[in-house]
Amino acid sequence: MARKPALANSHNETIAHQTLILDNGACTLKTGFASGDEPNPSNCHIIPNCIARSQRDKRTYIGAELYDCADYGELAFRRPVEKGYVVNWEGEKAVWEKTFMGKTARVKCDAHETNLILTEAPHAPAALQRNADEMVFEEFEFASYFRSAAPNLNAYAPSPFPGATALPCGMALETILLVDAGHTATTITPLYHGRPIQQACRRLDIGGKTLSNQLKELISRTFDVHREDWIVSEIKEDVCYVSSSFNSDMERAWKGGLKDPREVDSTVVVDYVLPDYEEIKRGYTRPHETNVSIRNRALGMSNGRKEHVVTIGNERFAVPELLFTPTDIGMQQEGLCGTILQSLESVPKSLWHVFLANIVVVGGTSKLPGFVDRLEAELRSRVDETALVRVACAEDPIKNTWLGGARLAGNPDVLRELVVTRAEYLEHGDLWTRRKFAGKTTR
Amino acid sequence: MAGPLRFRTPHIEELHTAHSRHAPGFAWVAVPGGTAPADPSKNWGTTNRKRAGNKIGGQTEQQREAITARQQREVDRRIRELNSDNSKDVQIPIPKKEAGGPSTAGGAPARIGKTTNTKKILASGKTFAHYLDDEEAEIARTGRRDGDLDVAAPAQQRPSKTPIARRKIREGSSISNSPAPSISMAPPPAPRALHTSLSTEAMDIDIEEADDEDDPLPPLPTAAEMEALLDAPPLTYNQARSAPPPPGAPPPRKFCETCGYWGRVKCSRCGVMVCSVECKDTHDQFKCLKIYA
Repeated sequence: MARKPALANSHNETIAHQTLILDNGACTLKTGFASGDEPNPSNCHIIPNCIARSQRDKRTYIGAELYDCADYGELAFRRPVEKGYVVNWEGEKAVWEKTFMGKTARVKCDAHETNLILTEAPHAPAALQRNADEMVFEEFEFASYFRSAAPNLNAYAPSPFPGATALPCGMALETILLVDAGHTATTITPLYHGRPIQQACRRLDIGGKTLSNQLKELISRTFDVHREDWIVSEIKEDVCYVSSSFNSDMERAWKGGLKDPREVDSTVVVDYVLPDYEEIKRGYTRPHETNVSIRNRALGMSNGRKEHVVTIGNERFAVPELLFTPTDIGMQQEGLCGTILQSLESVPKSLWHVFLANIVVVGGTSKLPGFVDRLEAELRSRVDETALVRVACAEDPIKNTWLGGARLAGNPDVLRELVVTRAEYLEHGDLWTRRKFAGKTTR
Repeated sequence: MAGPLRFRTPHIEELHTAHSRHAPGFAWVAVPGGTAPADPSKNWGTTNRKRAGNKIGGQTEQQREAITARQQREVDRRIRELNSDNSKDVQIPIPKKEAGGPSTAGGAPARIGKTTNTKKILASGKTFAHYLDDEEAEIARTGRRDGDLDVAAPAQQRPSKTPIARRKIREGSSISNSPAPSISMAPPPAPRALHTSLSTEAMDIDIEEADDEDDPLPPLPTAAEMEALLDAPPLTYNQARSAPPPPGAPPPRKFCETCGYWGRVKCSRCGVMVCSVECKDTHDQFKCLKIYA
């Protein structure tokens, strides 16, 4: 990428010494400074990208303050990021200021002395891109700035495949098919030397949020958790898994009919003890007890302790199944594998095999147990036998985009090529800046 | 076979007027003979709707359309709800003193911006749907997106929003000529032949092409082709959406509303699926909406 160092030098400007990477996700923002040659993921802070209001203590929590919250019951959320894009800058500004400025900042940052690498979701409407650029330069006044679609940065992260040679900083992996299973949606991006094949990018509108909301609906059939967004997403993280054999799991979790009751399989059906935030700070699972009713437990009649327990059976795998079969809720989109194949159709045939053999999965939703195995198995069954299908999950799927950005920033020459300085922005304007980030113009 | 005492008008035919509206809940129903109820006085041609509804062909085309449209709306609403970002019905203002930062020294609200641009952005109450509509309108009006100024003005015969670059690419030799999923609102997805074509292609390579002297793999794209591919403008939000399953795909699975097991029986009143007598009882007792009767 550092093809034109001469050009960079001719433009007699240098960029600031420190670079802040900000992966501005819909659920959490992942941020931290790039630290030289080998960025350390422990420099990356995961901060809730939301403003939450507790009905119980009537407090409003912004960003990382949420970690200090003592009671996650009935939290209401306001998220500045909608569908993956920063739409509400008023809220986002509050979260950023809380994170980067002020006394309690987790990542203290002087914008005037800092380069910013900011991610956005792919396919952003231009008006939103302009808003982001204007906010970064005019409101926060960062010294220089590079805005990239989040998937692209993953090409600069280390390859998750065993036996891959480590590339130097700022060098992109040759070909990867990136599957970003995020909070809002799951995107497919074929990356060729770090650049996306735009016509082949696809999005499946199922993300972690969809799964949490679906689980919320399903649990609410027996126990009302409609207002417990936080707890339900914890339940999802604790019990949900991607089934490798959906039909047989379904049978194992079935209680049977009136005439032929069956024993449910206790490896599938579990009880989940909900947190009460007095003694239990975080819910946990335990083996299913069939004979105690919800009401008796709530009254403390079973073992002397009052507790709320929900039984979770086929919800454990039927909810993540939406990723692979969106038609289960009537969504007219193909599942993850179908979407990947749709994406490949727009790629030259000769590259299909390369992409199929280099599928990298990132994003919080990919942490669901069984996700990678199912994806690999289903893809293998849908392409012909000669094709090698390799799917690997990044070592830390949540921080991988950040890591890629940090490794990109580890090479100042490459970074210099990509960023727009504040002076340039003021000189050339916002349209030029957008075109520059789209790779359509050079200095 | 003739049900007694029906409207025995010789022949009723609905004439298509210019403004024919399918009002849900009202339509001419052909009453199938033989299933007329015992009490003829109640038979106004409507009493066996429930049963008729379950029979194939028991409804008119319009009724079915109205019902599926209604169910589709219901499904869409539900998906929107599942994909909603914020908690429902809650307004969370940003606390003033918490807003921090130097700009709020005088107790000014957080939305004050430093420049006119940022002031506007911070005060904006637009949602993502607004931005999306704006962009679609812009594309429909000018034929291009904001960023691709270097793209030549689009040819007139471009009703679809397919970016120009993609069309160019498709003419390329080495590139799959399977139609890219039609992203526009056109409902029927172009029949896609990837899975079959992919396997047959590969078969060709392995078995038949072995005899032929043609090179076994499709040629790698040239640098120029690759450059064109990488330089193409990004798809819009709507274009990037995954296409619906192909027509040959298995029908959607149905699940029991009460317990989540396979939905094996349909509630005759509301059309919801249940799995067993037990679940049907629960359904009847608490959940049956009786709206699709």
